[in-house]
Amino acid sequence: MKYYLKLGFILFIITAIASGVLAYLNTLTQPIIEENQRVAQEQARKEVLPSAITFEEVVGEITYHIGKDAEENIVGYTFVASLYGYSSDVKTMVGVNPDLVIEKIKIVSQAETPGLGANCEKQEFQAQFSGMQKGGMLVDKDGGTIVSLTGATITTRTITNSIKTAMDKLDIPTEETKEKEKDK
Amino acid sequence: MTLLKEFTKGFIKENPVFVMALGLCPTLAVTSSVVNAIGMGLAATFVLVFSNIFISLIKDFIPSKIRIPAYIVVIASFVTIVDMVMNAYLPAIHKSLGLFIPLIVVNCIILGRAEAFASKNNVFRSILDGLGMGLGFTLALVVIGGIREILGAGQFLGYNLFPETFQPMLVAILAPGAFIVMGLLMGLMNLKKKK
Repeated sequence: MKYYLKLGFILFIITAIASGVLAYLNTLTQPIIEENQRVAQEQARKEVLPSAITFEEVVGEITYHIGKDAEENIVGYTFVASLYGYSSDVKTMVGVNPDLVIEKIKIVSQAETPGLGANCEKQEFQAQFSGMQKGGMLVDKDGGTIVSLTGATITTRTITNSIKTAMDKLDIPTEETKEKEKDK
Repeated sequence: MTLLKEFTKGFIKENPVFVMALGLCPTLAVTSSVVNAIGMGLAATFVLVFSNIFISLIKDFIPSKIRIPAYIVVIASFVTIVDMVMNAYLPAIHKSLGLFIPLIVVNCIILGRAEAFASKNNVFRSILDGLGMGLGFTLALVVIGGIREILGAGQFLGYNLFPETFQPMLVAILAPGAFIVMGLLMGLMNLKKKK
């Protein structure tokens, strides 16, 4: 009995030291990791909406950012569209102008099949979305103009649909709703 | 065994992947490009060296009955350290290796060396063993990754090797390609040994 208590005690000491070291390292690296993620997000936002200088966060069903230029004029919005593709969540940063026409998109994270779906990170593919509106956004197989990456069209359709769904959920105050609010 | 041999045995003679057939899961999973192979190899080498040092240091205090859980705790701690430090200071590599770093915990090479070597040898020899085995693992990953990247994407380290008209052999970069390339390389190693 005593022997087994000793075994448990030794294991306890080892795990206690290990968790102590890890906890300390976590406090050191956590802020840097969060800062990295924030910078990466910021850069992605700048990339999809180059004309904006500052961004203002709006938390809603889908959190989006209002991009403003130096004179505080609204130049567009950015949001992250996310949907499960073939083997991963495909996250796309989307920049739209005030009329909800896509300026640029950028795939921010994906783990689709290398050589097939993963090619969605290529510039030529992402450039196709520029200038599109929600209505006209269709994959070639569905009669649209977006050239799909593969015959199965899974990743391409995922990205297209994720952007559409996110646009539906976006609660951006348009001119009409603004007028209504004024009337109240 | 001389010290030099202790270090170099992991390269070819006792190569963890090709000869001992250890750690095949990460080998198959991350070798779709050379960059991933180098990142995974070096991360595993780091964990291997430090877990070997630690296990060699504490081997006399650990009763043999609980040695495996004790080793796992040591290894898992170093893996978590690598994960956090890489995420903080090398976010680009961390993003592409993502899922595979936690898998180092269950990489049999590391537990294998702890059990077969570090728990029976002094610290200095354990460092040499860990370093040699780790580099041997990295070498194997880079060779497999290089072949797969050249055939499957027409690139090496991300640079295009062929003109635009080159049609890459897509299968090489997918999972079956990993098995085929590794099988052929293992076969070649065995063929050479027989002669």
